[in-house]
Order: sequence, then structure tokens, then C-alpha cells
Amino acid sequence: MFVKKSRKFQIILLLLMTLIACGDNAKETAKVKPPTAAPEKTAPAAVVAQPEQNPVPQKTRDVYQWYCTQCHGLKGKGDGINAKHLTVPPRDHTKGEYLETRTDKQLFDAIKLGGLAVGRAPCMPSWGNTLKDETIHSLVRYIRELCECEAL
Amino acid sequence: MPASAFADLSLAENHGCTQCHRFTQEASEEPPKGPDLFYAGNKFQKNWLENFLQNPVVVRKAGYTSDPGFLKGTPTVAQPHPSLPEKEAREMTDFLMSLKLSDLPASPVEGEPLTKGEKVRIKILFERNFGCIACHEGVNLAGQPRGGISGPSLANAGNRLTADWVFHWLKTPEKFLPKSRMPLYDLDDETAVKLTQYLMTLKIGRQN
Ligand code: HEC
Ligand code: HEC
Repeated sequence: MFVKKSRKFQIILLLLMTLIACGDNAKETAKVKPPTAAPEKTAPAAVVAQPEQNPVPQKTRDVYQWYCTQCHGLKGKGDGINAKHLTVPPRDHTKGEYLETRTDKQLFDAIKLGGLAVGRAPCMPSWGNTLKDETIHSLVRYIRELCECEAL
Repeated sequence: MPASAFADLSLAENHGCTQCHRFTQEASEEPPKGPDLFYAGNKFQKNWLENFLQNPVVVRKAGYTSDPGFLKGTPTVAQPHPSLPEKEAREMTDFLMSLKLSDLPASPVEGEPLTKGEKVRIKILFERNFGCIACHEGVNLAGQPRGGISGPSLANAGNRLTADWVFHWLKTPEKFLPKSRMPLYDLDDETAVKLTQYLMTLKIGRQN
């Protein structure tokens, strides 16, 4: 199911990309929404027609804080309490240069199925039994907020 | 609860243990400062407990999960744990060992040890496929603890925990903690048994 959805999304994104030229531009527009902004009914970023532009709900941030921070750190910088004990450092979710090279589907799969299943570091466990698909999609959006980037 | 258990709870109260630990399943107003002990009799090996209470070791290097300093790795509760003299530690151990959940079914973990091949296979599950080591210390080839610290260290699980409890934790963690920070794995019984047996081979440091 999600495959279809995210394909549609990729197509939209592709279309948008050709419209607004990618990379730096995308970054600029993304900066409108600081990742830590208070979530309570923030006015939607009306101007740019990017998909799902609204900041993710507080619930998603809470999920991130509860689970992901253990490795990825309180602000997503890849510096959680487990970080220095791992052979492969946890991903820094504020680094646009890398995360731009990943599609939303790739991020979704890494969270849902775990690192090993998608050819990445096995340290990343699979969260598919813990989190609903819907929540994982929202986490992908949250990571996009943290990196202030979209897939290229 | 039998009447005598109340007298024992006052033992824990008198020693100040109830400030940080829950000894019954009742919800507390604030998140507790230390791990729940209302199922201690299911969870721990008696020798380990008696020893821990006299010579505490640090099991959670980043502190307990609800400690305000947990995610920063700087627990606000002092480490190591307060200790008890021998006689009190024995009394306390007897009390803790009496705290059991009445509705835990028997676990299918048996004595049959893992074969060498199985041990290697499960070690790979633990360290790679399941990524347990991202949050827990296991034991490396040099016999040293190795792994993440957000979850309790499992480097001495074989001396500390009971196999039955480990199995139940892996299958039904919500019986012990409504919401854990550990992912749910949806393990079939056989994998859960093997994983439990593997964890029970992890031993480090002093023997009890
Ligand atoms: C100031 C808070 C505090 C007090 C008081 C306290 N504890 Fe603890 N206790 C903790 C914390 C925090 C841990 C976790 C330590 C670790 O994992 O390294 C712990 C761990 C334990 C453990 C091991 C539990 C596990 O799951 O690993 C036992 C058993 C225990 N305490 C018993 C007691 C008893 C008995 C008393 C009273 C004599 C007591 N505690 C007093 C905070 C406290
Ligand atoms: C994302 C981090 C994470 C991963 C991955 C993880 N755990 Fe945990 N685990 C925890 C935390 C945190 C706790 C403590 C319970 C809590 O507060 O949530 C825990 C508790 C436990 C306990 C109980 C230990 C005790 O002394 O109370 C066992 C046993 C355990 N985990 C085994 C495993 C196994 C086996 C795996 C892999 C299949 C695994 N864990 C994967 C974080 C993790």
C-alpha cells in the first residue's frame, strides 16, 4: 500500500523538483520551518506548493524522542547515548548532504525493516512491529524537517 | 498478598527503597527513579540479588530510562546504587524473591544447551539481524562488554536474570512495563527460546 502512496509522492516530488530546481532551492524553502517550532497549530506554510509542508504533529516528535533519540540523539545529530558504542555511527539526521541522496521510501524502509534489510548498518533495528506505517511516514517527514532537505 | 508481605514492604519502606522503586503493580504518580521490582522474584537469580544489594554494580550506565538525565547519559540518581550490610541484604533478597506475578505461564525454555552452531547463529541475530547490541552490551571475543548503553547491560545476563523471565520479557514486555523504549520483535517461540538461551550464556565479571 505504502509503495503506491510513496510512488505517487515521488512523482509529485519529481515534478516539483523540475519546477523549483532541486538542491539549494529546496533547502531554502525548507528553512521556513524550524524543526523545533512549537507544533500546536502552526499556520501552514502556505506559499510553496510542496507536499506535506506542515510541521509534523507533536505525537511524531514524541515518538522520535522516546525511541530514536537513544541512538540518534536529542536533536537528531547522531550523538545519542549509544552512539559512541557502535561500530557504525548512527545517522546524523541534520545532515542534508547525505539525506538528500535517500528517497522517502528508502528512509521509510530503513525504519520499518531495519538497517540490514536495506543494505545499511545492522545497528539500526526494525521498528515495523512497534510503529504503525502511518507513524513511520510521519517520522520520515520529521527527518526531512531535521535535515531541512528533500530527496533529490 | 499474604499478610506477611506487608511487613516486608515496610522493610523496603524503612530502607528508603520505595522512594525509587515500585514494589506493587499500582501506577505511581511520578515515573519511578529506578526499575520496577514487583516482579523481582521472577526476574533475578537469588545469588546475584544478594550480592548486588551488598556490592552494587552499574547495570544501566546511562541511568534508568525515566531518569531526567537518561538521554544525556548523565543520570541524576547517584551511581553506584546504595548498599546494605550482609544481614539486611539477605532479608531484602528473601523479600524481593517473594515478589512474583501470579499470572505468568510456564515458559518453554528448557535445559538443553545451544549447540556451538546455534550459538553462532543466534549471536548473529543478536548482533546483526535484530540489532540488540545497538542498545545493550553483550560480550565480545575478548570477554569484554561491548555495545550500546540505553538498555540494561546484558553482558552478565547469565548470572543476573532467570531464563524464564527473559523469555517472557522478549514475548510480552507489556506484562512488566506498559511502554518500553525497546522495539517489539514479534518473535516466534522457538526464536525467543534460542535467543533467551544465548543471553543466558553471557557472563562476565564476578560469578554472582
Ligand atoms: C535513589 C534511588 C534509589 C534508591 C533509594 C534505591 N534504589 Fe535500587 N535502583 C535504583 C536505580 C536507578 C537502579 C538501576 C541501577 C542500574 O541499573 O545500574 C536500581 C537498581 C536496583 C536493583 C536491580 C534492578 C534491576 O532491574 O537491575 C535492585 C534489586 C534494587 N535497586 C533494589 C533496591 C533496594 C532493595 C533498595 C532499598 C535498600 C533500593 N534499591 C534503593 C535507584 C534506587
Ligand atoms: C533501541 C534500543 C533497544 C534495542 C534495539 C533492544 N533493546 Fe532490549 N531494552 C532496551 C531498553 C531501553 C530496555 C529497558 C526497558 C525500558 O525501560 O524500556 C530493554 C530491556 C531489555 C531486557 C531486560 C533487561 C533488564 O535487565 O531489565 C532484555 C533481556 C532485552 N532488552 C533484550 C533485548 C534483545 C534480545 C534485543 C534484540 C532482539 C533487544 N533487547 C533490543 C532497549 C533496546
